[in-house]
Amino acid sequence: MVLLIVGASLAGVLSAGWTPVLGVQLQGGVEVVLRPANEVPDEQFERAIEIIRNRVDAIGVAEPDITRQGDQVVIQLPGVKDKQRAVDLIGKTAELTFRPVITFFDPLDPNQRAAAQQVVEGSQVAEGENVDEDTEQMVSLSDLLTPPEEDEATATVALLGSAGQMGFVLAPAELTGEVIEEAAATFQGQWIVNLSLNDEGALLFDQMAVANYERQVAIVLDGVVESAPTINAVEFNGQAVISGSFDEAEAKNLALVLRFGALPVEFERDDVRTVSATLGEGTLRAGVIAGLVGLMLVGLYMLFYYRLLGLVAICSLAVSGATLWSIIAWLGESKGLALTLAGATGIIVSIGVQVDSNIVYYERIKEEVRRGRAVRSAADGSFRAAFSTIVWADLASLIGAGVLYQLTSGTVRGFALYLGITTLIDLAVSFFFMRPLVVFVARRLVNERPRRLGLTTVTEEASV
Amino acid sequence: MSFSIRRLYRGDTSWDFLGVSRRVLTGSIVAVLICVAALFIQGLNLGIEFEGGGVWEAPASEDVTTDAIQKTASNIGMADARVQRITGGEEIFRIRGELPAGETAESIGSALAETAQVDSESVSARTVSPSFGDEVAGKARRALVVFFILIALYLTLRFEWKMALGALVAVAHDIALTVGIYAIFQFEISPATVVAFLTIMGYSLYDTIVVFDRVKDNERSLSLKTRMTYSDLANVSLNQVIMRSVNTTITSVLPVVSLLVVGSLIMGASSLQEFAIALLIGLVVGSYSSIFVAMPLVSSLKGREPHWAEQERNAELLSESNSIENAATALAADRYDRSAPPRPRKKGRKR
Repeated sequence: MVLLIVGASLAGVLSAGWTPVLGVQLQGGVEVVLRPANEVPDEQFERAIEIIRNRVDAIGVAEPDITRQGDQVVIQLPGVKDKQRAVDLIGKTAELTFRPVITFFDPLDPNQRAAAQQVVEGSQVAEGENVDEDTEQMVSLSDLLTPPEEDEATATVALLGSAGQMGFVLAPAELTGEVIEEAAATFQGQWIVNLSLNDEGALLFDQMAVANYERQVAIVLDGVVESAPTINAVEFNGQAVISGSFDEAEAKNLALVLRFGALPVEFERDDVRTVSATLGEGTLRAGVIAGLVGLMLVGLYMLFYYRLLGLVAICSLAVSGATLWSIIAWLGESKGLALTLAGATGIIVSIGVQVDSNIVYYERIKEEVRRGRAVRSAADGSFRAAFSTIVWADLASLIGAGVLYQLTSGTVRGFALYLGITTLIDLAVSFFFMRPLVVFVARRLVNERPRRLGLTTVTEEASV
Repeated sequence: MSFSIRRLYRGDTSWDFLGVSRRVLTGSIVAVLICVAALFIQGLNLGIEFEGGGVWEAPASEDVTTDAIQKTASNIGMADARVQRITGGEEIFRIRGELPAGETAESIGSALAETAQVDSESVSARTVSPSFGDEVAGKARRALVVFFILIALYLTLRFEWKMALGALVAVAHDIALTVGIYAIFQFEISPATVVAFLTIMGYSLYDTIVVFDRVKDNERSLSLKTRMTYSDLANVSLNQVIMRSVNTTITSVLPVVSLLVVGSLIMGASSLQEFAIALLIGLVVGSYSSIFVAMPLVSSLKGREPHWAEQERNAELLSESNSIENAATALAADRYDRSAPPRPRKKGRKR
């Protein structure tokens, strides 16, 4: 029954092609820990993390892991190719700009992409003239869009809207977010966003309004067009109202974006680690070989000492291992959680805990048998006492793992996670697998000849 | 000798652990004092995660010398950089120093790669800001305090406060010894080492709980019937769990030894090495302390309780025979007594 479940889950994981995701230290890549240089409100911090996430997506990393841990952001990019570019991009401060809209394009339409490309390159296409498909080279979307590191305030850029359905070609920025004093979403018959600017900003904003009267100006945060309102006045005196068919969430989001521009979250790089692929592989290989050799030694020792019961211990380890593999693969696949070096060492360490559960039980059985009890009833009867010991001891490990997971970050946290997981597996395997198998062995295979379990009985003792 | 090993194998020993522990404890105290002294005099060799700075690792080849790398490092403004050639497995250069102003980890990495005659992609680098280390250390300290409080509560609820105290003293002893050895030999402390220290704490507690669990069990089942003193009870319990402790320690140490030998000596992965050393020391010390530190402390605390103090006086009056022998016979008598009809015995334990 238990074998069935474990076997099924392992088969499921294997057939789905899930394999554990390896951390930076085990396959090479980049790991960056960032912390805001100054104190920032929580929602802005979250927003900044969101921006980092967008940038990482733009780089195209297979299994990025970006987590907030207290007031730090831990970014792991295993296997990333261009490491320096990744490090630079991640740490860059996000900027809010106001850019007049030159033209729109549909990112899915090749014709419009080609037209937009020409606009960006400065060669104007006369209005209404169709682009000849045969002579034009196909412009792919990624070629067209401005890469983050070229997204300068002074450049003409091609960017997407926040939903990704609309493309914009935008003129150089006329205003940056620093001039914003306050932005808030309010409800006045409909949801609107009030924007107030400082003196310098009021002047620049009016200049922009004059130049772009009755045209659209895009509000761009870190390469994403968040909104593109039409200017319908020329004199704002530092107070602007952005209206549209916003719902509450949209209006609040826009206000947050504008406030973010006013006080961009600047990050300090607390810890930057780049690991070459060869070094990562070396560590991984060393860890795997060491783990296997360790397992083999433990297996041999258990066989030598406990005979048949040693075999049960080896089977328990195998079942735990299969379960663990499934869980790690599942975590990697669904949560993007990578197996780190600390986690891997935690697992090697947990071999000891798993084996100990077996030993506690076997020693109890041995003791009962020495007291003169039959092997099969000893196997049945000792489990309660042994399992209670296992539970109490494992509970202490779980408390430790929980505290460490909650209160620490980085390496230690990864270790705590795997310590917790393996401890739970230990409990489950002890109860659902080890006991039935030991009882089975005691009933069927021992035939009341305890020597097979590495035991001597009371009667044999007399002859010693 | 062979006789006693056979007895050990059968789990049929009657050693006077507490008696031995009095002598061993003196050694423990001295060792802890030395370690604490070393900690204060020499301090710890903290890794860059705690001190800030940068570390670069580049593959080493025969025709590049450490001096050449050192020279390159000086030229780019890292005169006080430490350059090591790490052998065993794949050879690498390890360069540690402060990141000079105006340089990036990458620019230094490529300069080093050029000198080492390797591709700059094969250089691993790590830079850490100094404030980060403070934070890591601070978090670890806070987690540790919370952990100690929770464990103390847990053990008090599960057993009693005297046992909680015994267990925590044993853990403190283990950590003191392990950290002390790091101070004496100036091994580098990294987050991996901290993880190892935490594991040691876990193991030590786990071990101690197994011992205490047995003592509690025996306290319920044996003490009312017999004239055992608490130290007899402790001795009997220790004799019962000694094989478990020995076996568990062996099976826990085997993977760690293989991590140390295979992982670092043969294949040269230094990040595994730091971890394994701490674990190895901690595991051995941890199982030692459960038996020789935690239990004697609890035993002497419990011995002062009125009930046990009286037992003690009675035992002194009846000093005609060795009390351990007594305990063993009492236990043996108890076994046959209880195991004859297996069913009721089980129920009795359930209560």
